[in-house]
Amino acid sequence: MRKIVVILLFVVLGGCTETGADIPLSVRADDVPVEPGEFVVRRLTDAQYRNVVADLISPDIVVPARLEPDARSAGSLVRGSSQTTVSPRGVELYEAAAFTIAEQAVEDDAFQDRYLRCRQAFGSADCLSKFTKSFGRVAYRRPLTTDEMNTLVGIGRNASTTLDDPKQGVIYIIATILQSPSFLFRPEGATDREILNAFELASKLSFFLWNSAPDTELLALAETAELTKPDVLESQVDRMLADEKARRGVRAFFIDLYELDKLDELTKATEIFPHINDEVGPAAREETLKGIEYLVFEEQGDFRDIMTTRRTFVNRKLAAIYNMPAPAREGFAMTEYPEDQPRVGLLGQVSYLAEWSHPVSTSATLRGMFVQQKLLCRLIPNPPAGVDTSIPEPSGEAPTLRDRIQEHLQDPGCASCHNLTDHIGLGFENFDGLGRFRSTDDGTAIDASGEIDGIGFSNPVELASVVRNHPSFGPCLTVNLFDYANGRESADGERDLVTALADQFALSGYDFLYLMRAVALSEGFRTYSMGEVTQ
Amino acid sequence: MKIDRRTLLKGVLGSGVVTIGLPMLEVFMNTNGTALAQGEGFAPRFGLFFWGNGTLPDKWVPSGEGDTWQLSEQMQPLAAVQDRLTVVSGTELKVPNLIPHTSGASGILAGAPLIMNGESSTFGGPTLDVLIANEIGNDTRFRSIEYGAAPGGGRSFNGPNSQNPAESSPYALFERIFGAGFRAPGETTEVDPKIALRRSVLDAVMEDSRRLQSKVSANDRIRLEQHFDGIRELETRLARLEEDPPNRAACARPDAPELAYPDIDGRAQLTAKNRAMCDIMAMALACDQSRVFSNYFTYPVNNLLFEGATAGHHQLTHDEPGDQPQVNAIVLQIMTEFAYMVESLSAVPEGDGTLLDNCIVLATSDVSYGRTHNLDEFPIILSGTAGGAIKQGVHYRSTSAENSARVVLTLMRALGINAEGFGVDMGRATESIGALES
Repeated sequence: MRKIVVILLFVVLGGCTETGADIPLSVRADDVPVEPGEFVVRRLTDAQYRNVVADLISPDIVVPARLEPDARSAGSLVRGSSQTTVSPRGVELYEAAAFTIAEQAVEDDAFQDRYLRCRQAFGSADCLSKFTKSFGRVAYRRPLTTDEMNTLVGIGRNASTTLDDPKQGVIYIIATILQSPSFLFRPEGATDREILNAFELASKLSFFLWNSAPDTELLALAETAELTKPDVLESQVDRMLADEKARRGVRAFFIDLYELDKLDELTKATEIFPHINDEVGPAAREETLKGIEYLVFEEQGDFRDIMTTRRTFVNRKLAAIYNMPAPAREGFAMTEYPEDQPRVGLLGQVSYLAEWSHPVSTSATLRGMFVQQKLLCRLIPNPPAGVDTSIPEPSGEAPTLRDRIQEHLQDPGCASCHNLTDHIGLGFENFDGLGRFRSTDDGTAIDASGEIDGIGFSNPVELASVVRNHPSFGPCLTVNLFDYANGRESADGERDLVTALADQFALSGYDFLYLMRAVALSEGFRTYSMGEVTQ
Repeated sequence: MKIDRRTLLKGVLGSGVVTIGLPMLEVFMNTNGTALAQGEGFAPRFGLFFWGNGTLPDKWVPSGEGDTWQLSEQMQPLAAVQDRLTVVSGTELKVPNLIPHTSGASGILAGAPLIMNGESSTFGGPTLDVLIANEIGNDTRFRSIEYGAAPGGGRSFNGPNSQNPAESSPYALFERIFGAGFRAPGETTEVDPKIALRRSVLDAVMEDSRRLQSKVSANDRIRLEQHFDGIRELETRLARLEEDPPNRAACARPDAPELAYPDIDGRAQLTAKNRAMCDIMAMALACDQSRVFSNYFTYPVNNLLFEGATAGHHQLTHDEPGDQPQVNAIVLQIMTEFAYMVESLSAVPEGDGTLLDNCIVLATSDVSYGRTHNLDEFPIILSGTAGGAIKQGVHYRSTSAENSARVVLTLMRALGINAEGFGVDMGRATESIGALES
C-alpha cells in the first residue's frame, strides 16, 4: 500500500493572503544611500574550518570528522554561524582537533617551509617567536599583539621544556591558536568604527569569495592598508574570483541556500527505492554543484538557465536513477537529460526531488515550499496547532495525490498557504520520491499542470520556465547572496542597495560572478552599525 | 544482589520482538560490591529520555490512579519495570504553540516559549538538564552527557541559540568517556604531564576570549561568554583526570561497542545504537564520570523509518488513517527502548539498592498527539526516586490541567536543588506537585 503525502502547512484563513516579499525591480543609481545593519561575529563553519586548515597549513592534514556541528537559523547556515556559539562539547572537539592537526603540521614539509624556516633550532626562543608571529598572523587574519605573542611563546617554551622535545613547543603553539576565539570566530568589525579596517576587509572578502582565510597577498595589502583603496580592492576582488578557490566559495553559497548539506542524511525506504544507498545523497549534491559551477565559471551564462538547462553532470548511480546512459564509466561527466523526459534544470535533479520528499512518497507541499521560499523569497508561515492534518488514502475516486489533497486546496483555511505551495509541488508529480520519472501515480495518469502567480504550466518543463522568468527570481538570489555575505538578514536601510544590486545583476544578463563582485564592492559589504557596544 | 537483569529483560521483551545481547553489562553480574567503599553516600543523578512526535493519547493514559493502576496499551513494553515507574497524566504545557513540535519541546525542556526573531526561532531559555547540571554536575568529570541514537537529535540548550550537540555514535560516546585519560578505580597510572600543559593552553584561550568580549556587541558577548564557559568546563575536566578516579565498586572499564552501525534497508539501527549507548551511560554513571545525562532517542518532526513501518514517523502521524496502527507500533518500539534504559540503570548495584534508585529519570516528548500537535495530556513518565525523594509506582492524574513544567520543578527540588521556579513567562512553574514527593 502506498502512503500519502503529509500536508505540512495549514494556516488559518488569511494567513497567506499577503504574498509579501516580492522585490520591486527598478534601476537605481550606483550611490544608493545605505544604513547598514549591525555587525555580527561569525563562527567558522565546519567547511570553513577545514578549508582554512587546508589553505594555511597543508591540504594533506587530516582533520577529525567531528567538529562543533553547524546550525541553521531561518534555513541558513551562515545566519546560524552568527547566532550560535561553541558548546562545551564543541570546545572539547576543537581541542582534540587542534592537537591532531598540530601534530601533523609540525611534520609537514610544506608547513615547515612556510612558517618554520628555523626548524634546525626548534626550541630556541627566537625560532618560536618567529614562527608564532608568522603563523599567528595568518590564523588570526591580523598581526598578533605583543601580549598575545608573549603568551603563545611562553606556552611553547614551557611545553618543549616539560616534555623535553622542541617540536612540542611548536605543537602547543599551533594548538593554542586553533582553539582561540580569534581563530574560531570572525570578529570582522570588532573595533570602535563603522567601516571595516583593511584586515577585517581582507578576512570578510576571503570568507565570502573563497570560504576560507585570506592568502599572503591579501594580508600584505591589508598590512599597508592599500586594500581599502577602491582600485586595489577592485583588482583584488577580480583576482579572487579568477582563482580556483572561488569555486569553493560559490559552492558554499549554494550548499547553504539550497540546503544541500542535508543530502547526507537522506532517508528513503529501500523496498520502494532499490537504488538508494549512502552514495546517492552526496552524488546528487555533486551533480547540482557541478552544474552550477559550469554555468557560473565555464559559461559565465545567464544564471536563470540553471532552471531550464538539459545539460548536467552525472555518474553511473545517478544515470541509473534518471534511466539514461552513464556518460562515463568512472566519476561524473557532462551529459543531457533525455528529450523524452520532462526533466530539466535544478528542479529536475535528485538533489531537489528527493530531499523535498518523504521517505516513501513525494510531497507537493515541501517541493512547493522550496520554490516559494528559496527561489522566490516568499515567506510561508508555520501551520497552526490543533488542526487535523490527515488526508484520505488513495481510493477509486481519489487515486492521485492531486485528488487527495484537493480537499485542502478547497478549504479556505488550508488553501491560503497551500495554494502557494501545492500547485507548484504537484507540477513535479511526474517524479517520484527519489526523482525517478513516472507517467502514472498508482496507475492513474498524472496531471502536472498548475500555475504560479497566474502564469500557467502544463508540465515540469514549463514550470521550470515560469520560475526562471519570474520577476522575483533574480532579486531573490540577490538578497540571499547579500545576506550570505553579511551573515545576517539585510536591514531596512539596505533595501535600496539590494534593489540596486538586483538591477545590476539583471543588466549583467544574470552573470552570477558579476553579482558576487557587485556585492563584495558595495558599501553594504564594508560598513556596519555597532549596535549596543559593551565596554 | 537481587536483580537478575537477564530475567528482567526477558520479561520486558518477552513478546519475542527482539533478541538482546548483553555485552558489557555482564560485568555488573559478577562485580563484588553492593556497598560503596569508604562509606560515602550516593549523589542523586538526573536522566532524560526524549523522543519525537508524541503518542496516541487515547492509548497512552493508564487506567486507575494512585498506586493501583494498569499500564496503558502503549506502555505495555514497560510491564517488567512498572514498579519502578511513576506516570504523570492530565498535565499540559502552557506555552503558546507557535511552531508545532518545537514549541512543545521548548515548553517541556526549557519551560519557556520559543524566542521568535523574524524567520528564526530558538528555545526560550536553558533546558532542564543544563539547569540541573549547573547545580549537581560540578563535581564530576563531565557536567552532563548528551547522546541519542538518531543523529541530530539533541535538544539541550545552554540558553537561546546555544545548543549542545548529542553524540549519536556509540563508539564515539565510549571513546569520549572511557578512552584516553579514563582510569578505573585502583588504576594508578602516572598522571600525563600533557594534561597540565593542555590546561595552560586553555588559560591562554580564555584570555583571548576576555579580550575579544570587550570589543563586541552585547549579543555577541553572550555568545563568547558561553564559549568561555565551555573552555572553563574542559579545564575542570582535565583537572579531574589528574585526581584519583572516584572509588566506585560497580565501576569497571567496559568493552568498546561496534565502530559503526550502518543503516539496514534504509533504516537506522536505532535499537542497537540505543542499547549500546545506554550500557555505556550506565557505566559512566556507575564510575561517577557524570551525574546528568540526556538520551535523545529521536527528535521532534523526525521522519525516521522505523522497523516495520511503511513511511517516516512524522508523515505517519499526520497521514495514517483510522487508529494509526503504525504510529502505535512505533510508540511501542520507543517504550521498549525506554524500558531498556531503565533496566540498564537498574542493573548497576549501588549501596543496598541500584543506580536507578539514586536517579530520577524523565521520559517525555514534544507533543501529545502528533496528528494535531496538541500540548494537553502531555506524555510524562518518571523512573527512579532520586534517592527516595520521589514516589515510585504510582499514576498521578492531574484534574486541573496543571502546567507540565511543574513536574520538572518537582524533579529539580527532589534532586536537592533549591529552585524558586522553572521556566519563563507563560511556561514557568513556581510550584512543585506535592503528590509526587515522598
